[in-house]
Amino acid sequence: MHDDDRPPAFPLTRRDTLRAGSAVAAASVLPPLSSAAASTQSMPLEPGATTTITTVVNGEPITIAVDTRASLLDVLRERLALTGAKKGCDHGQCGACTVHVDGRRVAACLTLAAKVDGREVTTIEGLGEEAALHPMQQAFIDHDALQCGYCTPGQIMAAVACVREGNATSRERIRDAMSGNICRCGAYVGIVAAIEDAAAKMGQG
Amino acid sequence: MRAITYTRPATAQAAITAFAQAGEGARYIAGGTTLYDLMKLGIETPAHLVDVSAIEGLGSIDTGGDVLRFGGMATMADVARDRVVMERYPLLAEALGKAASQQLRNMATVGGNLLQRTRCLYFRNGASGLYPCNKREPGSGCAAIGGLDRGQALLGQSDACTAVSPGDWPVALVALDASVEVEGPDGTRTMPVADLYRMPGDTPHLEFTLRPGEIITAVMVPATAAGRRSTYHKVRDRESYAFALASAAVALEMDGETVREARIALGGVATVPWRARAAEALINGAPLTRERALATGHAAFADARPGRHNAFKIQLGAEVVADAVMIAAGRAS
Amino acid sequence: MSALTPTQDRMRIDARDKVLGRPLFAADIPLRGLLHAMTTPARIAKGRITAIDTMAAAAVPGVVRVFTHEDFADLRVTPATLGGNQPGFQPLTGTEIVFRGQPVALVVAATLEAATEAAELVEVTYEAAPFTATMDEPGAEPQPYETAVEAGDAAAAMASAEVTVDVEYRHPQNHHNPLEMISTTAHVEDGRLIVREGTQNTNALKFGTAGALGLDPQRVDAVSPYIGGGFGQKNVLQLQSVLVSRAAMALGRPVKLVMPRAQLFHTASHRPASRHRIRLGASRAGRISAAIYESDQENARYDHFLRSAHNEAVSRLYGIPNYLGRERLVRVDTNPPGHMRAPHEHPGSYAFESAVDELSYALGMDPLALRLANDAERDAISGKPFTSRTLAACLDRGAALFGWSERRAAPHSMVAEDGSLVGWGVASGAYKGTMCPCVARLRVQADGLTRLSVSGHEMGQGIRSAVGAELMELLPIRADRLEIRLGDTTAIDQHHTAGSWGTGGAVPAVRAVVGRFMAALTELGGPLRPGESVHTRLMALKRPVLEVEIEHLGTSQGPDALERMRRGGVAVVGPEYPDFVSFSWIAHFVEVRVEPTTRRIRVPRVVSVADCGRVMNRRTATSQVAGGVVWGIGAALREAAEIDPRYGFVLNNDLADYVVPVNADIGAITVDLLDIADPMLNASGVRGVGEVAMVGAAAAVANAVYHATGKRIRHLPIRIDDLL
Repeated sequence: MHDDDRPPAFPLTRRDTLRAGSAVAAASVLPPLSSAAASTQSMPLEPGATTTITTVVNGEPITIAVDTRASLLDVLRERLALTGAKKGCDHGQCGACTVHVDGRRVAACLTLAAKVDGREVTTIEGLGEEAALHPMQQAFIDHDALQCGYCTPGQIMAAVACVREGNATSRERIRDAMSGNICRCGAYVGIVAAIEDAAAKMGQG
Repeated sequence: MRAITYTRPATAQAAITAFAQAGEGARYIAGGTTLYDLMKLGIETPAHLVDVSAIEGLGSIDTGGDVLRFGGMATMADVARDRVVMERYPLLAEALGKAASQQLRNMATVGGNLLQRTRCLYFRNGASGLYPCNKREPGSGCAAIGGLDRGQALLGQSDACTAVSPGDWPVALVALDASVEVEGPDGTRTMPVADLYRMPGDTPHLEFTLRPGEIITAVMVPATAAGRRSTYHKVRDRESYAFALASAAVALEMDGETVREARIALGGVATVPWRARAAEALINGAPLTRERALATGHAAFADARPGRHNAFKIQLGAEVVADAVMIAAGRAS
Repeated sequence: MSALTPTQDRMRIDARDKVLGRPLFAADIPLRGLLHAMTTPARIAKGRITAIDTMAAAAVPGVVRVFTHEDFADLRVTPATLGGNQPGFQPLTGTEIVFRGQPVALVVAATLEAATEAAELVEVTYEAAPFTATMDEPGAEPQPYETAVEAGDAAAAMASAEVTVDVEYRHPQNHHNPLEMISTTAHVEDGRLIVREGTQNTNALKFGTAGALGLDPQRVDAVSPYIGGGFGQKNVLQLQSVLVSRAAMALGRPVKLVMPRAQLFHTASHRPASRHRIRLGASRAGRISAAIYESDQENARYDHFLRSAHNEAVSRLYGIPNYLGRERLVRVDTNPPGHMRAPHEHPGSYAFESAVDELSYALGMDPLALRLANDAERDAISGKPFTSRTLAACLDRGAALFGWSERRAAPHSMVAEDGSLVGWGVASGAYKGTMCPCVARLRVQADGLTRLSVSGHEMGQGIRSAVGAELMELLPIRADRLEIRLGDTTAIDQHHTAGSWGTGGAVPAVRAVVGRFMAALTELGGPLRPGESVHTRLMALKRPVLEVEIEHLGTSQGPDALERMRRGGVAVVGPEYPDFVSFSWIAHFVEVRVEPTTRRIRVPRVVSVADCGRVMNRRTATSQVAGGVVWGIGAALREAAEIDPRYGFVLNNDLADYVVPVNADIGAITVDLLDIADPMLNASGVRGVGEVAMVGAAAAVANAVYHATGKRIRHLPIRIDDLL
């Protein structure tokens, strides 16, 4: 978290921070901060509204108190700074948040974080690394199976699972098994080619 | 979404006790693919979630006996890839495999999926009182009637509600006369899957016949030779990852070229998983031809009452049934 | 400077980072003390707020503040400062409601969960007013027609034509749905306001935010290095942008708002619904002599922003000497529409190329032959030459790759082994060759690092790879230590990236900055020897770094264009230049198969051949074209916003019900690029490809459906309902 070392941003209070006076004037017409604001650092939630979970994320054991309502996706992204899994719909309709729980692909946005207590979570950050890409990652590069890159982590996590499930045995099966991952840029042709390629290299084609 | 509590008991009894103790606002959650989704939309507003997905023993799959028994918490993905299910009951494997995406099938359970709620757009979009909806708010009216009803039911609807039962799996189960085992505060009972569902009538907010605190602990399918000659055929607005415009679960027992007994159920067109008995009667005992299959399909929609934008589903549904019959008949017994 | 030769094969420059999940999109930046925001959408389509009760919302544990219109009344709405290319309405500045879903409150809380809960608890009382949801409803206000294109005497030529068609097509409202939901994160640091948003227009974000908040633009930074798909939806300052910045300033903490997908259907832009009446007149021999094309396009009631341009590209597809194009807007009570990939050219080409197809059947002529017979040498509209006219070559090449000569002419005459009806369709496309001003700074270090900063935004189209390719083609540097900074006003001045002018603007600017750099290097120590890298030379010169910067204008642009850009505006040139016109070209060949029983339509294969001038990176350009074809298939067969006129709201406002293509919908897509440099347009010989990719694709699908079934469906999407 590259900003962690920096001091927190400060409020605009000095007149000289901004040239235009209207912004300062505008700030003054805003009602004062509510009393809740002062106590937000401690995130006061009602008893029972938080749950402590113990989980293994990308091989590392983690114990963390989460809002009981929180999705696994929001906990990964907002609490653990694992932003590889993306939010594209928040309703299990796009696949951008695909991660593995106990080795199986799931939609992290529709998974209550509380549910992964005692389970293992793998995200794109835990799949391969710069020096040793997973064969699926290399195949996505080789076949240009991406454009904007936003759906890509979810596509790759789904694709790895697709191969392990035995669903990468034909283009038809790959297409169907990968239909839970929308690529709005339309890289589907490359994605199918990448999975065929990687499946052979993963020894499960 | 309001704040919630969450517990994950290890036994059914503990879950039932936790549910009772939680009191008002308690809901069971299994895979969560419907409930959590609707909580995010503000349609479901539970205060206490009792997670039943980790109950010991409820994830089991037993396909060896006279009755196939699927633990209520077995995932859709696991049941779909059971070897016996794939080889002897293709309609079950296909109904599961054509639902949602693999990610969601890895989460959703075969018990929980039976309780999936409708995809009616006016229902899903109405959290802040945008639309009248008798299902959400009894007595408020139904915006879908006279509205954009391409996705609404043409079988089983009432003046109060036209919402479609969205599932695939329940349709296949209804075709095979499956039943569920239910455990609750008053003990264990079984009932046909078909009896889980209420027709909307004047009370569309009452969708299921489960009593408070009851858990679907198992789904049971009587073993049948008809399973091999079967299919779940689903037509939708795209090739995958979509709900049915019209679907048909068909299982056949044949005497040579003659249909001895057909089981036909419809999805995507009715307010509940819809067994098409009149259509079955038309084809039972008849030599199998595409013409007869299509007539059977039309018979399935004889009572259809289309709205403004869904009349095409009468023709589509008939063709889907006919195609399903021909696909099923073409499979080796 | 080297000749315009084909570029080397190179991987997409940021692919490695992307497969590792490393790029930080706007909502990914971890900021200490970050607060989360959520909006409350209006429940009425038109009217006003009479009361807001925020008590329950404010009482939610973790809520910091509930902002309403009373808090934001001082915001200035400043479309003028943004070159006029912006919506002119800022929600939450007053009580007026002009569309359903308009934000009426902004909740800021310590957690996303608290913000979301509280936003649902804001109680708003409204006074509703009558409204008109679509242009088919009473109360829709058609504006006067404006003449868009005129050449010769279309009416007279039409009257004397031997064969005519007169047809009307309809296109529904579409939504971009880039997978990255639009988000804004703002914080104040060292007296500067820093705004992060996935935007194709950091310039608008910087200047628009400054204008609305009354800040000096030089104290506002807009940062958008990676965009999770834009397609035009991220062209403008979003309705939420300044609200989030204002909240961050008021609270003295970073604030992030990720707009939920359902709300984006109303708060972000869309492709408006449109109607197209097309009359074509031709000789029996198949020479098109006249075209009259009139279009209606929905627009918001309160906004003057979007004009249509349906005729601009299609009037250049063929040499039609007598052409009249008239367009008008129809005002309804909606949120403002905007530009969505090939905003005018896609619906325009769908209609026009369908009409041309209908003409071919009326003439009894092969649709490909009709198109080839009407090729143009010069632009019939302006009388000027084209910088490059390669449509016929695209058609010929595509026909050969597709096997068009095997086609049976009669509709409903080709049947596959499984009984499916087979249809083959063709359509042409064109998209303007545009350019914009661009600033580029090149810094090369002796230690091996090269940093290129350039005006432009990467939304997946591959501009990083395109500018990187030009740099590496021209300059011997280390490819593995090349940094390219885009979409960041702190790196260099920015211009809006859209309309396929990104490549046309940035690549020639890179060529120019390399030219300046080489001149400077040569001055220091003579020309580079063969095999010598710039880094080695700098080392030898004992210079740790050499940096140059240039300003580059689009062809024929004057310095005022740069000025406009530097004031936050848009300064684009094309397709008409003083001495020529310029377009990119494409030909699409589509096979559909229609299931005989259920009438399911599938698209097993497509061949698309495009000419976008010199191809900077064949991989990324090919992906762009394939993606455009996927968009064409989606538009032709799947996508439409469903609006209940009684409520005025997109009912299918999610990715389950607004049906975009999934993997299983897409078969083989064969792409070829002619790769013919266009040095007349600019020094790099490049034109854009991202939009032309989609132009004509939907028409080719629709024409194939007609060929398969004999049914001409004159609206999109074409669905089972239409064919049963």
